[in-house]
Amino acid sequence: MQWGMLLGIDVGGTHTDAVVIDESGIAASCKVPTEHGNLLASVESVIDCVCRQVPAAEIERLNLSTTLTTNAIVEGKTEEVGVLAVGGPGIDPTDFMLCRHFHALSGAIDHRGQLIRPMKESELAAAVAACRKDGIRAYAAVSKFSPRNPGMENRMAEVIGEAADVVTRGHALTGRLNFPRRLATAYFNSAIWRLFNDFADAVGKSLRRLGLSAARVNILKADGGTMPLSMAREMPVESILSGPAASIMGIISMCDIVHDSIILDIGGTTTDIAIFAKGAPLMEPDGIAIGSHPTLVRSLLTRSIGVGGDSALSVLAEEVRVGPQRPGPAMAAGGGHPTLIDACNHLGLAGHGDIARSRAGIERFAADHSLKPEELAQRAVDAAVGRIRDEVRAMVKEVNERPVYTIHELLEGRRIVPSKIYIMGGPAEVLKMPIFKAFSLSVSVPQSYAVANAVGAALTRTTRSVELFADTEQLRLHIPTLGVSRVIEPDYDLEAARRDAARSLLSFMRAEGVPSREENVEITQASSFNMVEGGRLVGRNIRVKCQIRPGILHRYKELLGRLC
Amino acid sequence: MLKAAHSLGIVFFPAFDWALSPTHPEREERLLYTQDQLEEEGVFDIEGIAEVKPLVADVADVERVHFTFPETELVTTRSHLVAAGGAMRAAQLVLSGARDKAFALVRPPGHHAMKSVHGTRGFCAINNEAIMIEHVRETHGARRIAVVDTDCHHGDGTQDIYWHDPDVLFISLHQDGRTLYPGTGFPAECGGPKARGRTINIPLPPQTGDEGFLMVIERVVRPILDDFKPELVINSAGQDNHFTDPITDMNVTARGYGRLNELLNPDIAVLEGGYSIQGALPYVNLAIVLAMAGLDYSGVVEPDLEPARVRQSNRTTEYVKRLCGELPRLYFNPPPDTSLTRENGYFVRRKEIFYDTDNIRETQMEFLRDCEHCPGFLRLETRSNRVPLSLGIEAPVGVCGACAEEARRQFEDAQLKGGFRYAQLIDRVNKIYQRIGF
Repeated sequence: MQWGMLLGIDVGGTHTDAVVIDESGIAASCKVPTEHGNLLASVESVIDCVCRQVPAAEIERLNLSTTLTTNAIVEGKTEEVGVLAVGGPGIDPTDFMLCRHFHALSGAIDHRGQLIRPMKESELAAAVAACRKDGIRAYAAVSKFSPRNPGMENRMAEVIGEAADVVTRGHALTGRLNFPRRLATAYFNSAIWRLFNDFADAVGKSLRRLGLSAARVNILKADGGTMPLSMAREMPVESILSGPAASIMGIISMCDIVHDSIILDIGGTTTDIAIFAKGAPLMEPDGIAIGSHPTLVRSLLTRSIGVGGDSALSVLAEEVRVGPQRPGPAMAAGGGHPTLIDACNHLGLAGHGDIARSRAGIERFAADHSLKPEELAQRAVDAAVGRIRDEVRAMVKEVNERPVYTIHELLEGRRIVPSKIYIMGGPAEVLKMPIFKAFSLSVSVPQSYAVANAVGAALTRTTRSVELFADTEQLRLHIPTLGVSRVIEPDYDLEAARRDAARSLLSFMRAEGVPSREENVEITQASSFNMVEGGRLVGRNIRVKCQIRPGILHRYKELLGRLC
Repeated sequence: MLKAAHSLGIVFFPAFDWALSPTHPEREERLLYTQDQLEEEGVFDIEGIAEVKPLVADVADVERVHFTFPETELVTTRSHLVAAGGAMRAAQLVLSGARDKAFALVRPPGHHAMKSVHGTRGFCAINNEAIMIEHVRETHGARRIAVVDTDCHHGDGTQDIYWHDPDVLFISLHQDGRTLYPGTGFPAECGGPKARGRTINIPLPPQTGDEGFLMVIERVVRPILDDFKPELVINSAGQDNHFTDPITDMNVTARGYGRLNELLNPDIAVLEGGYSIQGALPYVNLAIVLAMAGLDYSGVVEPDLEPARVRQSNRTTEYVKRLCGELPRLYFNPPPDTSLTRENGYFVRRKEIFYDTDNIRETQMEFLRDCEHCPGFLRLETRSNRVPLSLGIEAPVGVCGACAEEARRQFEDAQLKGGFRYAQLIDRVNKIYQRIGF
């Protein structure tokens, strides 16, 4: 059987990588420097490059991971947003004022989704008028407990109406609770909406020009999955910080990971760490933080530390340190200060670049600190690997100490015990043995680690998660992100809820044109609580979360292990 | 971004898979809406506030405190051990310096569990605070501790455990025992012969509101605490004084609880009762969390709060004022116990204890050695409709060598002569914990 080819592009901070994959493996790959001020140019040039190796018309799909939205937020190049927030009992919403046009409105919904104080229409009208007067065209509308009752957010969007090009309603992004995070997520979504949509238009034009008009475009998310471009146009916030996820999905697509494992992506200046439990990547419990703002954007759990191949050596109070500074490239590559790679060259672990320059640099630096060169180099490698090991241990401990809420999980819950380490990135091969010694765990370095990020981008499937909330006393069911709100019978139960959550998710995906397999739908939480009043059962409070879990496209499963 | 003035650890363990029975107030649903509220408010994202997993208490932690009959495993469930372990974790966070304060939001409660345990009473089987305190004393050395019980029900279990302990100050504020379970907690109950004035009971009339509670804290509790100078202040934080509680009759609001906590300034709070799980708990718990962290709780206003309906009457205010005038002397100048019986060098008490949850009637004879050097060791002979005559002997922290030795001798004597179905020794001086009979 003949499939079209998949193109994966990862626009990173320094390089833009691309690979084309067909059923036999990597059919083409390219790497170009990222043009920071013009990401579209980087995308075009890398597509141009791979299309010289394979026919453009055979590319059926483009999966794109980009720093566009992340950069815009970090650099403050975002659009002014009018934020309308309805608080209610508890912490004052103005404590979470994200921007100038922030309007706290009165009104309240409680934890069961019951309207306890209606919103004041006059306040709403005044807030919208004030934003209009200032020329605001992007809005975020968020109320406390909106996933349990989206009424207020919908009403706010209705009143804003034509005054806006975009209104992000909190419940449309996620059904999970956390008002401050929902506010931030909705705000950022609107703040980067126009930028992202302009970029999407431009990418579409470029693809047509380059002969890829048939290719479906997906955008990578921080959870390691993709979303169709049409969905990304509505929730561009989901495209932030997808870089580390691309690399992690690369490892998954190359190696058949089945055990509790550690993934290390060792770059020039940093090492990114991820953890796998029984072969599946762990997620952040709530969502990723953008700067100092925690959000509800789902993300793989990753930590970054300032240790990499180009990290500078330093000696402080007789202690040899590596990083976090990176004054320039390694001496082997013409730099002026010895780095971790120079230490590896000196020890004969590596043979990168100009080894004589590395040796000379290490010798001079050792003499300056009254150390033997071998000792300095060895202690530097030990320090680097030691920091990685300490961070990994802290991370595993943190995961094992995550709160749980049932006695069963507390007493019989599974602990993560890593049994294997996968390393990728430039210095991966070089640090393989030192890491093996530091952890005493089996270590593997996949063959094509240099383009793992682009491979991950190319092969990862579309993910999505939904939350269902049903209350058989109020006879109401909500699936906030799908806009589902309907009446249920009093005998509605957990089994029905599990089925409805999974079915709604699958039919939504199929309606969006994403073929999704039932076996990839995973119920991550399902609970039903008897609600009792006056000693009498009055109903059930049912909560179900389900997701299409991150993983690689089914038809490329056979590639598993072959690139490892 | 919000930042806590005091760092706070929250041991949140709702035990979503455990209930006393499906429709019992102590059921899976109890902390569900509290969790919703804390999550929705983003409490765990506030800088300085962290959510922490509980420890699991083991049998030794229980048997450092309680005489359990027939055995610990039969009077507890795993959830009891987790609740006690949650309190232990809270104390560990504070004593290790990891957190300024800690709140154990755990269930089931424990403050009705007494020294001797034959079963469950008032939803409690083992005393979470006492297990925590004795764990602290054993592992961290702190000795002088104050427990302020603000549950609406008299903390008769904690009172019983520390009745003879001069180093633990126990203060209970509650709805008057003439109108509510367990029917005790009167000012005349103010500590055993060696710990007079170390138990203070403050019964409040039904429908006392924020004003009355805060007046008692300011005029009675605070001055006593300031004089006692404990190393740790623990709040047994029952939330059933709330105006919506279904099984009590008080008028305290969430903001009242916040203010109470602010005035009391406890190092550790441990959840006790409180069964208005939708109308009170989400708001009261949030107010306590914010108050402990030193954050503004003035916005925590219950949806169904009508200020006029929760305002206490002038008559109540006058009554509470009078109480505030009279009660401090119980601590500063405690009256002698006129009902005391002293036989052969021992103070003797006979007690009848009813376990409402398990329908057990226990009869105890309690002997406290009247020692001139120390608070004396304790001998407890107990029987119930479930357990034949059994014995508990305790040489508590701080007793003299002679008392510890005599306690051990009596335990050995009981083994030789028999007559007791089960016998348990708690020797805190030599750290010897033994039980026989099974």
